[in-house]
Amino acid sequence: MSYAYLFKYIIIGDTGVGKSCLLLQFTDKRFQPIHDLTIGVEFGARMITIDGKQIKLQIWDTAGQEAFRSITRSYYRGAAGALLVYDITRRETFEHLTTWLEDARQHSNSNMVIMLIGNKSDLESRRDVKKEEGETFAREHNLIFMETSAKTAANVEEAFINTAKEIYEKIQEGVFDINNEANGIKIGPQHSPTNPNLPPGSQGANQSGGCC
Amino acid sequence: MYRLFGGFGKPKNPHSLENLKHLYNVLLKNKTVTDNNRGLLVEVLRSITEILIWGDQNDSSVFDFFLERNMLSFFLEILKQKCGSYVNVQLLQTLNILFENIRNETSLYYLLSNNHVNSIIVHKFDFSDEEVMAYYISFLKTLSLKLNVHTVNFFYNVHTNDFPLYTEAIKFFNHPESMVRIAVRTLTLNVYKVGDKSMLSFIRNKTAAPYFSNLVWFIGSHVLELDACVSNDANNQNQIHCLADLVAEHLDHLHYLNDILTLDISDLNEVLNDHLLNKLLTPLYIFSLIPDDQLKPAQTSKPRMSTIVSLFLLSQVFLIISMYPLVRTLTEIILQGSLDIFEHDEDSPVSNKLIIPSFVPPPKTLEESLDSATTPSTSIVSTTESNVSNITDEEKEQILAQELQTGFFFETIIKALSCEENDHKALFALCLLHSISCNKGINQDLLAGTLIAGPSEKPKYNTRLVEKLIEIMSLSCQPRSGIRLVTLELTIALLKRLVVLNGRSILQDAHFAAVIDAKEESIQLAQTFFKNDDVFLDTFEDEYTDMKRKPLNVEFLMMDSKILLSPSTTCTPLTGIEFRKRLPCGNVERARRAIRVFLLIREFSLMLTGEMELQLPLTDRSNCYQVNSALDFNNADLIHCIFIGKDGIKAKRFLVIDSTHLILIEPDSRLGWGIVKLAAFLQDIEVVGDKENPQCLSVTMHHSTSGALTAKFIFDDHVRCMAAKQRLTKARTIARVQKLNQLARLFDLPVQTTHSSPGSRMFFRHPRSGGRRLPGFAAPIKVPSSSFAAAKNGSSNGHCRSLSSSPKPSTTYCPNEDIPLENIALKTINPANVASSVEEQSETSNASSSQDAPVNDTAEPSDLETSFSQISVSSKKTARRKGKVETV
Ligand SMILES: Nc1nc2c(ncn2[C@@H]2O[C@H](COP(=O)(O)OP(=O)(O)OP(=O)(O)O)[C@@H](O)[C@H]2O)c(=O)[nH]1
Ligand SMILES: [Mg+2]
Repeated sequence: MSYAYLFKYIIIGDTGVGKSCLLLQFTDKRFQPIHDLTIGVEFGARMITIDGKQIKLQIWDTAGQEAFRSITRSYYRGAAGALLVYDITRRETFEHLTTWLEDARQHSNSNMVIMLIGNKSDLESRRDVKKEEGETFAREHNLIFMETSAKTAANVEEAFINTAKEIYEKIQEGVFDINNEANGIKIGPQHSPTNPNLPPGSQGANQSGGCC
Repeated sequence: MYRLFGGFGKPKNPHSLENLKHLYNVLLKNKTVTDNNRGLLVEVLRSITEILIWGDQNDSSVFDFFLERNMLSFFLEILKQKCGSYVNVQLLQTLNILFENIRNETSLYYLLSNNHVNSIIVHKFDFSDEEVMAYYISFLKTLSLKLNVHTVNFFYNVHTNDFPLYTEAIKFFNHPESMVRIAVRTLTLNVYKVGDKSMLSFIRNKTAAPYFSNLVWFIGSHVLELDACVSNDANNQNQIHCLADLVAEHLDHLHYLNDILTLDISDLNEVLNDHLLNKLLTPLYIFSLIPDDQLKPAQTSKPRMSTIVSLFLLSQVFLIISMYPLVRTLTEIILQGSLDIFEHDEDSPVSNKLIIPSFVPPPKTLEESLDSATTPSTSIVSTTESNVSNITDEEKEQILAQELQTGFFFETIIKALSCEENDHKALFALCLLHSISCNKGINQDLLAGTLIAGPSEKPKYNTRLVEKLIEIMSLSCQPRSGIRLVTLELTIALLKRLVVLNGRSILQDAHFAAVIDAKEESIQLAQTFFKNDDVFLDTFEDEYTDMKRKPLNVEFLMMDSKILLSPSTTCTPLTGIEFRKRLPCGNVERARRAIRVFLLIREFSLMLTGEMELQLPLTDRSNCYQVNSALDFNNADLIHCIFIGKDGIKAKRFLVIDSTHLILIEPDSRLGWGIVKLAAFLQDIEVVGDKENPQCLSVTMHHSTSGALTAKFIFDDHVRCMAAKQRLTKARTIARVQKLNQLARLFDLPVQTTHSSPGSRMFFRHPRSGGRRLPGFAAPIKVPSSSFAAAKNGSSNGHCRSLSSSPKPSTTYCPNEDIPLENIALKTINPANVASSVEEQSETSNASSSQDAPVNDTAEPSDLETSFSQISVSSKKTARRKGKVETV
């Protein structure tokens, strides 16, 4: 399917906060979490519409690469958006946010949109982090914030779509250099009449990283 | 979707063996994929996955059935029918979900047991479809996360000697899509990490040479691209972005190589080291250090980059990789190597054995070499390989030692330190030397006496190098110097490593004298910018704070692609380049630079002589009054006012002005005592009257115990307001003059005279009697006679301090007199007011700030020296340096 833009997201946060579940919940709504079976996955893509334009979101879960510095670094650099997830029932996952954010800020391009997600909002009785605390953290660090549940699907759409809207706005404002694929944004096949040198979705060329 | 199941009598419970059986029948009836059943099949596959995951956690019979009927083979059958990306993507995603969510080891073994997964891995998908590519590579990555010593045998087949998960994945190592490349790298690291012996020997023998030779070629081409980008002097936004990407990309490569190397798999590292050294670092990076005019004709056509880029990239190498023996060999080449390493010498038996390093494309693409894996030994790379593996590490080192004697490259780097035109090349040469010097993987013996101070028995250093460095120091003190601050900082950082051993300087007298000369030059430079004004004082203090707060971080410096641009094109603040990394623009910035040069060289020369810094900082802001500490304000002049802070809340306070501080207090329950609510150094305040309210002052504090703020002070009437304003303004001026005098002394300049007379100061005194302290009448008095003593407040961990605003209440004001410290210490405690409990703490919590007495008119530098040495004695006694005596 053709699209106007492709945005690459990464999804980060401590283990067990629900990254994979959020991802699948967003990309494949058929996995309704009935029968108490929460299922996750580490990659997914989905089409959304913003401002009448088809936008494809590609979400890469970064689980399991903590051991390798090169991997973390590269993931951050290749993404236009990041969902930074903590688990509202486990305080330590909230406390680690600063470290995650430092890493993200250090390695990502400065325009990357970061959304803070407090996940598992369905587990109100076991809540360990107040919603206000999440809001305050987000305000202090200039992030968008939302509480979600991968289990009930509450706010999951919104989280991914709001992030996309923010990226889209940045493109409109001209902050994102969209001719540079290293930023995690690609222009769709039929949408780049201004730049004939840019073959979006071009395959097979052995060189990469070429941006000039 | 469920309506599709209509005719087959769908069981009610989707998560059940019955439903799986039902779905199996659906598959049986739809063996051929058509346009009509495509959607149905996709949905069936998805449901099967869901049941399997459910069964994994709840009902083992599900997996039994799945295996019995060999259901995974249906997946393969569907794939083989080439039914388009829609079905393929769904199928790959289904597999992803399946493998991601299976928790039970046995279930996982079942799924992997009959090679179907490997058949799916080698299936020729349509990789030109970006979606298929992404799901495929994620599938492989997910599988790699499931690898362990047990599961690896399902993927690596000892008998057929193949390992499709790995070999198929690495074919995409240079895919144009960065996320795909990262997934490949993650997978390779996950594979190596497993550490299975036979699997690793497969990787080493069949894949390592082709993979690593292609990888280093790939890195090398990026490097050449980077070089082209630097030399293309477009200097526009595009070039800057491009440069940033390529530099970050190079760092990614190095981190990846380092991640492999630190897994410490010796077989693998041997091959990787060999490729890195002989196919990339030596023939491209080090080769590029050779000046153009020293190239042999045959060498001129070889790929090269500019010396600047090569120094920059080599610095990155040494900053990131510290794996022995790679960095050691590389250091040996740099420090001792000669041009011979790039030449064939037919007569020498040694070089017959050793391959000439060369940066050439791999003979085959990775895919070709892997597919023709039956005869890998025909490729040049693997011949190279066997050569290398025939000689041991020790032999290799001997060969190198024989061959590398002269230190050609080291000489070249030292020459690069000359800053004839600018410091562009010198900066990177410094970075390289510094990062080699700090690299943990290099044997200290190799560096001692060359790039680190040592050896400890008979310390020496490379005089040529040290002289060059001192020359840079001296050049940076010249009026229109082209040396950037960062270059000077790095020069000093390197010098410290070269000539300071166990905290002591090993500099020869002549070199030490040269450093002192440079210091004098830096003072002269600073003098030319010295101005007796507020701006200069603020600039000086900012520069000092900045220097202390942000010491040079070479690793971060080498991540900044902008320093690759020529310094002449980046000298305005508009470039967004940090001040220290560019040349100054305009006089204000030149003054800043001169101050920083002065501070840097001063710090270094103090270090060499082993002296303590006693004159800086001018103001130790951590030494302000502590909020909530209780002080004795008997004898102090208190001015009642309403204070309105940032939050807009009104508070009743008393304003106290001592010689160095503005303090706002709240009366304590103890008579004559007050609790500090806010304090600021007088020099940091600005006072303006309020046009609308004659009783009100607006006070801006650039630093205070509550940070920077602007607050309103409302006084009881406009007379008191005027008086307070006058007093604050005056006190501020005096505080500043004192600071400037301190500065003048630092710069060896005559000290400014001040005409302020103490008689003009206003003091409000409050009547001693009565529980309520109301300011009484305003009365100008000749001798400031307030003196406070401090008491420890429970919550302020003893870090409160006392004041003595008038050191000598018994004598009249005497402008030219230095106040001996002992005197102050005595006066600090006012026996009349201080209880014995306070006395106990006086040793640690009391400190003195001696000068209410305004600046003396003609303080001699010698007087000053004495007075400072006294302070140092006192500060030793009180452990922390608290009572800072400013000027006297
Ligand atoms: N109640 C509830 N449980 C959830 C939610 N999201 C995830 N979980 C559960 O939390 C656990 C972890 O979820 P994952 O998605 O695997 O977590 P992850 O962040 O991907 O963890 P790693 O892959 O290890 O980094 C699973 O048991 C999920 O069932 C949610 O919104 N509500
Ligand atoms: Mg996960």
